[in-house]
Amino acid sequence: MTAGTLTSVTAERLGDASPQLLAPGGTQWAKVSETTVSLAPTPLDAQPSAYVQTSWAGRPYGALASVGLSAVVAGDALYLRLRWAAAEPRQAISDNDTYADACAVLFPLDGKTAELATMGDERSPVQGWHWRAGTALPFVITATGLGTVSRVPDHPVSVGAAWENGSWSVAFKRGLGEQGVPLTAGASVPLGIAVWSGANSERAGLKAHTPAWLTLTLPK
Amino acid sequence: MATVSSRPARQLAMVFDLNKCLGCQSCSIACKTLWTDAPGMESMWWNIVNTMPGGGTPRDVFSHGGGYKNGEPVPGTFPPLREFGEAWGFDQEATFASGGKAAFRPLERDGSSPEWGPNWDEDMGGGQYPNSYFFYLQQICANCSKPACLEACPRTGLYRREEDGIILIDEERCHGYRFCAEACPYKRIYFNPGRVVAQKCIACYPRLEAGVAPACVRQCPGRVRHVDYMDNLEGHPYKLVHEWKVALPLRPDFGTEPNVFYVPPLAPPAFNEAGEFDETKPRIPDEYLREMFGPGVERALETIQVEREKSARGEPSELIDILIARDWNDLLGPFTANPAELDRPPRGG
Repeated sequence: MTAGTLTSVTAERLGDASPQLLAPGGTQWAKVSETTVSLAPTPLDAQPSAYVQTSWAGRPYGALASVGLSAVVAGDALYLRLRWAAAEPRQAISDNDTYADACAVLFPLDGKTAELATMGDERSPVQGWHWRAGTALPFVITATGLGTVSRVPDHPVSVGAAWENGSWSVAFKRGLGEQGVPLTAGASVPLGIAVWSGANSERAGLKAHTPAWLTLTLPK
Repeated sequence: MATVSSRPARQLAMVFDLNKCLGCQSCSIACKTLWTDAPGMESMWWNIVNTMPGGGTPRDVFSHGGGYKNGEPVPGTFPPLREFGEAWGFDQEATFASGGKAAFRPLERDGSSPEWGPNWDEDMGGGQYPNSYFFYLQQICANCSKPACLEACPRTGLYRREEDGIILIDEERCHGYRFCAEACPYKRIYFNPGRVVAQKCIACYPRLEAGVAPACVRQCPGRVRHVDYMDNLEGHPYKLVHEWKVALPLRPDFGTEPNVFYVPPLAPPAFNEAGEFDETKPRIPDEYLREMFGPGVERALETIQVEREKSARGEPSELIDILIARDWNDLLGPFTANPAELDRPPRGG
């Protein structure tokens, strides 16, 4: 395992024909390198709601400093695993005033270009895979700007999540050739990451994120 | 940014006469059976009647922030379910096993005893005997003209209908963030934890579209509720709010310009120590009524008093005629269709 703060990540190829990589704490992941990716709070003045801006002024959010990213191609599928410290996990929405932990990865929908800070625009949308604690299926979302996130009804993305020893591990899987962001062997795609802390009531645009795209390269 | 810059073409408005409400909760039950009987909605009371002065629903209903001050949003909170009141179970087995001697007790989901619920402090009221007092306060979504809920949502999960100003939650767009519930100063937005969406009173819009009055209006045996478009100059809301100025917004200091108005409670004067009416002392403190209904409340009460006395003398009073509503249909504005007589009646009666 190697660690370091990088802006580019190359997915490793795993020869196992029947990977158990949706078990994010499984032994197969222990063989895969993990890159530490720095996160920062989203800007408060970019939140598309005067209420949110006012009610969160002076209130910390997005404090998670980094997330561990591992990427694997096994068979015909890409697996992305995020791992981050969560001392007070929120594993479900249990009441009016509780919020679940969550994470997401984001790509330009065309796999090439989009504005990350605005979550895309009309000409260059973004697509994301979004996991929220307590749900078995991830959401696949598309957006053409802040506040425009919409969920894709049918999608090929699956997820596995586990909280253990004070950390969340969440693994996403999508077939390379399946519907959505182009994922091509040997090619690179911009990648963004976001994490929401339920214990801090983080939701919507209140999150820790990568302020700039990383580059994810898939093996040939 | 989600903002509301223009008013709808028409605005539906309602007036609730606090002097006529019996606290029977027929409105609450009509709404409950019609709209909130699905899983995840057990604890929802889109319409609720609470004794005032009192804690309300949720507990300390007007102290959770939200709304606007000097035009700026006020941060709010969304109280937990227990503060609204869960859908209790009852300890039937304990009562049965005791041969009926053990009290039939309500239980929260975790088995504990409830500490709050809808109209929890029923009929407690305020004041000291013999000058005690209370009134019932009915609350639904007020479809505010400056809706803090709609403006708070970062993803336009709520919208206002151009044809009647009704504010609805688009459950396809709602992601359950609950900023709307925090921002509503009247705490009239609920959360469905199973579907992870916010839900609230919809003003019975499917009934309105069929010409039928909202269920809470139609089912009220006290003829408390008046409904019409505010631009109908002959309609009760317009006459009561703008002509007679006896119907007032609830907590106008919240700054959201609600479209539900209240005829404030007119109580007898206070008793003095000799047990006689003291005409100089109100039973319900003026400052409390001003806090609830704004600075127009004293004038409104004077007007009602004057018109009542006219009516008692046998003189005609348009105001008293409106408030009495001898013809039930007069309450309903243009929504007088009988759901039982429609070809395809909407749900409910």
